[in-house]
Parts: sequence; C-alpha cells; structure tokens
Amino acid sequence: MRKFYLLCFCYLFFMQMASGQQTNNKLISGNFQQATIAQFVNGVESKSSYHFYYDSKSFDSLRITLQVNDKPLETILDMAFKNTEYHYAISQNLVFLTKGRQIKTDLAEGYLETTTTAVAANQTTTVADYTDERDKKVPEATTENKLYEIGIKTNEIKPGSSRLSGYIRNIKSGEAIVGASIYVASTKTGIATDQFGYFTIILPRGRHVLNIRGLGMRDTRRQIILYSDGRLNIELQEQVNSLKEVKISADKVANVRSAEMGVSRLNISSIKQIPAAFGEADVLKVVLTLPGVTSVGEATTGFNVRGGAADENLILLDGATIYNPAHFFGFFAAFNPDIVKNIELYKSSIPEKYGGRLSSVLEITNREGNKKIFTGSAGIGLLTSRLNIEGPIVKDKTSFILGARTTYSDWLLHLLPEAYKHSSASFNDVNLGISHQINDKNNIYLTGYLSNDKFKLNSDTAYSYSNKSLVLKWKHNFNNKLYSVISGGIDKYQYDINSTANPVNAFDLGFNINQTNFRADFTYYLSNKHTIDFGVNSILYNVNPGKFEPTGAQSLVLPQVIAPEHALESGLYLGDKYDVSSKLTINAGVRLNVYNYLGAQVVDNYAPNLPREPVNVIDSTSYKSGQIIKTYISPDIRISARYLLNDDLSLKAGYNTLHQYIHLLSNTTSISPTDVYKLSDSNIKPEHGDQVSLGIFKNAKQNTLEMSVEVYYKRIRDYLDYKSGAVLLLNQHVEQDVINTQGKAYGAEFLLKKTAGKLNGWVSYTYSRTFLKQDDPNAGELINGGAYYPANYDKPNAFNFTGNYKFSHRYSVSLDVAYSTGRPITLPIAKYYYGGSERVFYSDRNQYRIPDYFRSDFSLNIEGNHRIHQLTHNSWTIGVYNLTGRQNAYSTFFTEQSGVISGYKLSIFASPIPFINYNIRF
Amino acid sequence: MKKLWFLFFFLGLIISCKKPYLPPVIAAPGSFLVVEGVINNGSDSTIIKLSKTVNLSSTTTTNPILKAIVTVEDNQNNAYALTETAHGKYVSAGLNLNNTLQYRLRIKTADNKEYLSDYVTVLDSPPIDTINYDIQSNGINLYSGTHDPSNKVKYFRFDYTETWIFHSKYFSQFKSNGDTVLGRDLVNDNIYQCWQNDTSSTIVLASSAKLSQNVLVNNPITSVSSTSEKLEAKYSIMVRQYALSADAYIFWSNIKKNTEQLGSIFDAQPSQLNGNIHCLTNPQEAVIGYLSVGSVSSKRIFIDNRILPAWVPNTPYNMCIDTPLFYKYSEGIQKTIVNQIDLFINYNKPGPHFDVLIPIDGIFVPGAGTPIGFTAAEPACVDCTIRGSNKQPAFWK
Repeated sequence: MRKFYLLCFCYLFFMQMASGQQTNNKLISGNFQQATIAQFVNGVESKSSYHFYYDSKSFDSLRITLQVNDKPLETILDMAFKNTEYHYAISQNLVFLTKGRQIKTDLAEGYLETTTTAVAANQTTTVADYTDERDKKVPEATTENKLYEIGIKTNEIKPGSSRLSGYIRNIKSGEAIVGASIYVASTKTGIATDQFGYFTIILPRGRHVLNIRGLGMRDTRRQIILYSDGRLNIELQEQVNSLKEVKISADKVANVRSAEMGVSRLNISSIKQIPAAFGEADVLKVVLTLPGVTSVGEATTGFNVRGGAADENLILLDGATIYNPAHFFGFFAAFNPDIVKNIELYKSSIPEKYGGRLSSVLEITNREGNKKIFTGSAGIGLLTSRLNIEGPIVKDKTSFILGARTTYSDWLLHLLPEAYKHSSASFNDVNLGISHQINDKNNIYLTGYLSNDKFKLNSDTAYSYSNKSLVLKWKHNFNNKLYSVISGGIDKYQYDINSTANPVNAFDLGFNINQTNFRADFTYYLSNKHTIDFGVNSILYNVNPGKFEPTGAQSLVLPQVIAPEHALESGLYLGDKYDVSSKLTINAGVRLNVYNYLGAQVVDNYAPNLPREPVNVIDSTSYKSGQIIKTYISPDIRISARYLLNDDLSLKAGYNTLHQYIHLLSNTTSISPTDVYKLSDSNIKPEHGDQVSLGIFKNAKQNTLEMSVEVYYKRIRDYLDYKSGAVLLLNQHVEQDVINTQGKAYGAEFLLKKTAGKLNGWVSYTYSRTFLKQDDPNAGELINGGAYYPANYDKPNAFNFTGNYKFSHRYSVSLDVAYSTGRPITLPIAKYYYGGSERVFYSDRNQYRIPDYFRSDFSLNIEGNHRIHQLTHNSWTIGVYNLTGRQNAYSTFFTEQSGVISGYKLSIFASPIPFINYNIRF
Repeated sequence: MKKLWFLFFFLGLIISCKKPYLPPVIAAPGSFLVVEGVINNGSDSTIIKLSKTVNLSSTTTTNPILKAIVTVEDNQNNAYALTETAHGKYVSAGLNLNNTLQYRLRIKTADNKEYLSDYVTVLDSPPIDTINYDIQSNGINLYSGTHDPSNKVKYFRFDYTETWIFHSKYFSQFKSNGDTVLGRDLVNDNIYQCWQNDTSSTIVLASSAKLSQNVLVNNPITSVSSTSEKLEAKYSIMVRQYALSADAYIFWSNIKKNTEQLGSIFDAQPSQLNGNIHCLTNPQEAVIGYLSVGSVSSKRIFIDNRILPAWVPNTPYNMCIDTPLFYKYSEGIQKTIVNQIDLFINYNKPGPHFDVLIPIDGIFVPGAGTPIGFTAAEPACVDCTIRGSNKQPAFWK
C-alpha cells in the first residue's frame, strides 16, 4: 500500500514540475564557514525566493565553507557539494537536495508521447525502479551504500594522502576477522587485516570504494570519502549459505597480488569438508593436502614441508608452541575444530618475526568468543565428542570461548579379545580464550590450552603425554601509524611412561620441556609505500631430557637422570613491506638470532678433528647455573618480491635463511611420545637452512580459478642424522650418536584451485627431492660412502585431490584422493657370519622404498534446514575412509624368530572404514 | 618401542593387518662375498676365511666358498698363494713379509669372479703389556693395556679365546664297557674335569687417537659374570690384539653397531659397510670385509677361583638326579627280579634302554667287597666331555 501512495505522490510531483519548468537566474552572494546545511539553506533562502526541500538527517555530517559573490544558485550548489555525494535539483524556485541520487526534474523520455494506459505502465516502471531498489537495498544500504566520511570533513579536499585504519569484525559475534582484505580498485592498493582484525591503509584523499573480503564472510564494499587521517570499523556479515564453499585464500586476488610466497591459508569451513577418519575434522590432515607438504605416514600427524623433517615445523596455537600436535598416536590432531578459526602455513616466505625452525611455520588461530550473544556447538562421533560454548562476559567488550573434547574409545577396546581387552586409551583437550577490549587503543587476550593423552596397553605400561600453554597478549595502538603487541606465555610439553606390572622392575620414565616466551612486536605504517615491522622475542628453554626412576618400595630399578638443559633463544627483527610501484612489492627483513646454551651443565670436551666417540672424550667442564656455555649468533635474511605482470598474473620470488636450535631426537620419522628434544650445545651445532624460491601465480575466470607453480631449492647444513645403532633415549652423551649432515632439497609445486561454483576444490602435485650426506671423515662413519642419500622423508611424487560437489545447499559430497611415493627405507638384505657372530648385511642407507601410498576418502554432508533463526542447527557427516581399502604400509619391520629373519608390513586402516558424525550448533 | 606395537595390534584387529613384507631384494638377494682374516706378515700362519651371505630367511649362516684361488700380492709383483683347507679357510704358513711393501689380496672364485683388495700398508701390533682384571660384586672385568712407542698405531681391535675348567655334577668312578661295569681309569678316562673354550662373539675396539701418546690402559675387553661356570675352578683368557688403520677402525665400528639391532623403521638407521675389497668382474657388487696386514700380538692370563669371592656358579645341572640301580631289583606286585644295571647302564645288553646312564659310585652291602648296584645319572650330569675336552690344553698351567 505504501508503495502505491508513494507512486501517487511521485506522479503528482512530476506532473507539477513538468507543467512549469523554468530556471530562476537570480544571483546570490554569501559567506559560509563550516556551515551546517540548515545555516546554509537559511542563508540562501533569505537572499532569494528559493525554497529548499531536504532530509536534514542525510545532511547532518555536511559542513560547507564557501565564499561567493553574485553567483547563480547552480554555481553555489556545485561548489558546496563538490566532491560529495550530495545532489540538487532545481524546479522553478523549489530546490530538492538529495543524497546519493539526483532527482530528475525532467519527465522520463517519451513520457508525454505515450497513451494514458501506457503512461501508467511507464510511470510504474520508472518510479518503481527507484523505490523498488531502495526497498531492496535497505538491509545493506546502511552499510554498503552509505558514504562514510573519514576525518575532518571539508567540502574541498586537500590533495595528498591520508591514513585510514580500523578493525574489521563479524557483525554477529563482534569477533575480529583475521586476514580480511581491503582492496581499493582506484589506486590498485590493498591490505589485509592482522591477527586482531586491524588494518591501516594509506590512500589519496578523496572518494574511494573499499572492496572487503574476509574468510567465511560475505564480500562487501564501503564507500568512503577520506578527508584526513581517520578510523573506520567495518562489520561484515557472515556468509550464511557458504557452508559448502571451499575458500582457501583470504582474498580471491591474494593469490596473485600478495607479495608472500608459499603461504596457504585455510579457514575451518574448508577444513571441515575434508573427510577424516572417524568423521572428526582434522586441522592437520588438511595441511597434508597442500602442495609441498607430505605426510610422515598413515595415521600420523607429523608432516614434512619442502624437504624438512617433522621437527622443523613451528606449530603455533595462538602464539603458543605446540610440541606434540597429535592425540592418540596421531589418529587425531590436537586442535579442536570447533574452536579453530583458520590456519596459515608459511613454507617459503616466513615472516621475520618468526624464527627457530627450518621448514615452516604453521599458525593456528582460534576464534574469539562471541561478544554479543551466547552460542555453542557440539559434535558426537563414534570415538570422540566435543562441546564448545562462547559468549559475552561484558557485552561488546569482553567475551570468552571454551572448547573441550574428550574420547570414550575404551568401549571399543573392551570389545576386543582377551589379549587386548584390558587396554585403555583416552585423550582430552580444553581451549579457553578470553578477549577484553579495555578501550579503543588497548585490548588484552588470554588464551589457555591443555591437552592430555593417556593410554595403557595390556602390558601394564601406562603412557601419557600432555601439552599445556598459557599466553597473555596486550595490543596497544599508539596512534594510527604505530601499534604493538606484547605477549608473554609459558608452554609445557611432557610425557611419562610407567610400568608397575613387575614390582621389581617398576619404573617411571619422564621427559618434559618448559619454555617461557616473551615477545614484543611493533608495526609502523611509515607511509603508503612502507610498512615496517620490528620487534624482539625470547624463549627460555628448560628441558629435562629424561629421568628413569624406580616406583614402589620393591623396585630395584637404578635411577637414571639426564641433567636438565637450559638455553635462551632470542631474536631481534626488522622488516619492511615496500610497495615500489603498483606492480612491484618487496618484503625484506632481517632477523638476528642469538642463542645461549646455559648452565648448570657438565659438557664433555672431545679431541679436535676426531669423531665424537666415547674413546675421544678428553675431559669435561662443569658450568654453574646460568653461566653461558656456548653462544651462537646468526643473522637470518628474509626477502620476497612480487611483480604484477597484469591484473591476474604475477611473478614472485623469495630468499630466506633460517636457523634451528632445538632438535627432535627420534628414530622414527614422525613425532612419537617417546621422542626427546635436544638443544644445541657446544657439541651439537644449530641447523641452518636457506631457500630460494620462484613462483608464477595466475587467476582466471573472475578469480574463481587459481593456478600457481612454485619451484624451490634449499640447502640444509648440520641437519642431525643418526649414527648406526644410535641410542637416543636416556643417553647421557647424545652427541656421540648423532652426526651433522649436509643436505639439499629441491622441488616444484603445482596447484590448481577452484574456489567457487558447485564443484570446488583443489588439485596439487608436488615433485620434491631431499638428500643428505655425511662426507666428513673426521665426524666418524661416512654414510653411503659420503655420497648424497635420500632423507627418510624423501617422497618424490605427491598428488592430492580435494573436491567438493554441492548438489544443493543441504547436500554435498566430498572426495579426497592422495598419492605419494613410498618413503625410503634401509633394508636388511642378507646375513653372514663375521667376527664371531651372525651379522646382518644392510643395503645402502635409504636405498629402497616402501610401497607407494594411495588413499581415497569419501563423505556426504547433510545440513539441516537453513533457517537462520532456529534453536539448533544440525548437520550429519557420513563417509568412508580409505574407500578402496588399500593396505598402505604404516610400517615395515623385521623380527627374528628361531634364527630366521622375517619382514612384515603393518597396515592400519587397511579396509574401507565407514564413519558417521553428528554436529549440533546452538 | 616394541610395546607400542601392541597398541597397533589391537587396533589392528578391527582395522589393520600385518602381512609378510618381502620386497624382491630380500626374497632374492644377491649373494655377497665375505672375506675375513688378517695377512700375517710374521712367522705365524695367515688364515683367510671366505664365505657368502645367505638369505634372511635361511636357518644357517655359514656358506663357505670352496675352490677359490687366493693369493697375497705385494706392490713389487710378488705373489704368495694360500692353500684351501676345510670350510672355506685358505691358509699359508708364515709369510715373513717385508714391512716396507704394501700388500693386497686377490680372490678368484670357482664361478670365475675376481676380487681384489686395496693395497694395504703393514701395521704391526705392539705387544700387549698387561691383561688385568678387577673384581666387582657381579663378576670380573678384564682389561688390556698396551703402548706403541713408534706412534704408528692408534686403533686396535681385539679378539680373545677363553678357556676354563669345569666339572660335571657327579664324579664317576665306574664305567660300563657295554656288557659290564668296571672301575674307571681316573687318569686317562677322567670325565669329571674338563676344559671348555669359547671365542669372542663381540667386536672389541679401542682407540688412543685422542691421547698425546699411544697408550691404552685398562682398556675393557670383556667381563665374566660371577655366576658363570667359567669361574668355577680356573679361568684363562688369551687376548689377541690387531693394529688397525683409521679406515679399518671405522669399518669395524660400523659392523659392530650395525649388528647390535635389527632394522625396523623404529630402529636406528643402519648404514652399509664399506670395506677395502672390491669385485673386479662387477664393480657394483658389494663385498664385505676389510683386509689388514700386520702382526698379531697376544697375551694370556689365568684366574684361579680361589682368589675370587665365594660365588656360586649357575650350572646346567639343575635337573640332575643320581638314581640307585641294582643288579637284583624286585619290581611291582609280582616281585619280579630285574637287573637294573643291564637295563640302564650296560648298553649292549638287551633291554629297553630308555636312557643310557653312567655309573657313578658303587652301592655296597656293609662288609661286602662287590657292589650290589650303582648310583647312576644321565651322561650330561656325569660326562664333562659332552661339553668340553678332558685333555688339558698345552698352554694350561
């Protein structure tokens, strides 16, 4: 009905204008200083016969500074509204001021020629377009179509640039959106928000359209007029129907435009589409589908990035270092998929603020709690369940998020035959995040993480391990140009193995690593061409490499304790993102690493130029607590550059160097709960790596198809490999069982990704080689005669397909296919009698390979109805893991039985495994 | 690590499987030549043992190479042939080589493959200065000591032969000739005290490379447990010391470490051995062995049980019983008289002879001179020659 009245009104209105249109040419003078619209209108009305019509609300932000002498009204209004979105229309002595849209005082073309019935029809069309569109746009008009004025408004815009900064948040939960991108088409500049959703961009003053894209958010734009430096907080709508959309990149154009190379971003909704064993979304499994990343083995969470070992990945959960990212021997990732917001994997351009690992940085960011309402979700699976709740503590200021997972797999174990029946296994993890906004300039964040794993086999030996961490972050904005994040935290990883089956042999074996972190990171927006990052960080390590103690009064076990190790790893960094031109961007940074190995410790001294063997120990030196035993100072260089060939094609290149001071001692290739970490000391040098990489990135079909090819070459120095027969656990002299090897790795990575449409997903293929050599005769045995040999994790060919097909908004299917070359193995190939005993003859190290790996998983996702407002949202995931039932080698091993040595291949998940999972969101 | 497997095994019952893993290289491995021995440059004999590797699934390890032609060559075109004895041993009496020359070994097998070692410099082992031991609560530890004033030898390998006296459980004073039981000749047919010997099965290495002088003091050779039968009466060890070059030392330490464990992917990475012998016919073929040339020094010591603490040896005699047996034994309800001596001891006499027992002592009626029976036991409890020799070794004192 309202529309009808409006139409009538418009009809009359146009009729009236049409009847007597003529221009009033009276000249007006006036002087306005920061005048409001009312002052301006009164001023003009008092000096003329004009009468103004306008909506005072739309004009409340306009200030007019103007001095005119005897000018026609048109000229005055042109000047007053120049560079604004205000328009005017003059009809006789009536002046209509509008915002955003101009009123046409002429009738639509051909209007008068049409018949009466046609008039009505035409009228409807013409005017209806206007009103219809207004109606349609109303929900978003408040955001998208509003022209935001930034800074102190003037009707005249001074030339030059100003700085715009602010936060991008989720309109529903108030949560910061990390990695959202703002792209300004007019200047071809763009920026992404940082981990707090904060951005700063320097733009020429004037009118701009900001295109904003965020992970899982509806793409939007904002119109601004930039008068001077100012702030703008942008709230984004959640993409409600995007549940099945695979989004990899924060920005569809980021693939081509960002200067970073070898960076993969994934948000949780794409992670959740990948079928996983037992139906639980697995953050780390997804990482394995990315090019350049290979799995250590079936059902393990360790991964190798570009020819790096599993311990060369820095895994950060909201800034806390996670040493064992797996539950249940690697069947599950230690990260709660309901809490995780997104993950970022840096495998080539590692930001200078990170150091201490050779291969990659995997940053896992948890969500912030909903700042507006209480919500939650729960998931029920065959073996695990999870629950999370979140909500405001103080609305819009303080929020919390709490997630917990637990397992109840024991029922499964109790179904087993007697021999295994008395086993038990369980794990749990808890995440807590509290964020508090003190004021506009200060925010604090507290995150805690706790994970526990326990399992007891029939053997009565109980294993347990846990990660604990607590991080407190304080973000402070000094001004629009400079902000800082100061954080401190503690991380602890420990494991414990004990057995009380035989009271005489009852023992308790423990290992733990405690680290205290401090970091201060600063970002300074120097100009629209330079963004400077600088800061300092330190980690104090306390490692208890092993303690083997008797338990119970009857135990005769001799206690054995390896002396604790201490070290301080510090980094000082400075980096600059330099936009040389709209085509060329350079990120350059340096990082100075200072590593101190600290007492108290007794260090063995070895004769120079002789292998570190027990026979070559000369003496040992005792150091007092806190005394510096050995210092390594080494600078890192991180450079990457992007050159835009055209809008959707770019070349990127990078070079970086890295150092690593903490080494995983493992005789397996994965991370297992009996491995120990060893700090670099006087006898074990830090590992060093450098990498050059080159890539070409292309987007096609409106940025829905992303293609990239990256090649890299990497040198590795002093990577730790093991001597034959090395003993790693409870070894007082680990340096005697390890050797420093030199390595090289190279490869090419191909990625084709479709980000939109019914069918989406990605295909990646990686060719990569990693070789090590030990050719220093002074270091002891030569491996394979000093020639290069493939590293344990050398897998030349790796292929991954991850695809999702959406039948409708409610039904979709996912298929995941993975293939890789089997990993190298050293085989015992024959036996002989020598030196008084039977001996086994081994092949060259890593000369052979276990069978190739192939697996395909399939899942069907069923969503409940899509009404936004309902009590609970439900979804089901039904699928099959290892669809083809291929018996991939989990392990191969050899045992001797009555003088005969037999090899076995152990496969787990050796047949198709169906799973079902039910998720509920409230 | 083994225990962790059980976890996978139980999960395995539902979802996993363990299958034999037999890649072609293990199923049908090449057969590789194994060369063991030292060319002795002095008056002692040189013994080179040749064998071939066997499949992992084989139950025997020994696979001697027969009918090969083995020669020692020097770098001045002189050659010395070795003659084949039994079990793939190729022997030469004292070669008395010139220490200033270099030597190598050439092997031509019956299947016409030819192998040649690198030229090796003569490295004489300095004399063993001492073999000493200390007494611990759980046994004795044996050490050697040497010094090399010439500073030529920094690396050493040792092997040893242990010899010891042991006794059977029972002291037999009688013996059956199959038909009748007679008194035993306690001098020439003593089966109570024997000598047994054993050779080292582990590789013992030492290095003085870190020292400013080539001296080895208290270099551990082996240890003997307090409960070992070896210390029951008298124990002797002869230690042989070989001089090694640095390369040879690495070879031997590799072989030592490699064979401590079997390789699974959870075990430490083994590495292949690189000896100094190569196949000329097929240069890719691996050859196991490191040839050294030089003298061997040796030293022997004796340790008498009387100077050791009163340790109780573990003997294999736990199941031994001495059974009284009689010429006339009334058996069962019918009181049938049986001759147990014929049944159990006189093995030529008809009877079931479940076990031939050895008579130990006579059973006498008080006052009578002839025994009415004998105590007897299984040979393993009475006859030490089953496990050793009752001939005193020539070196024994």
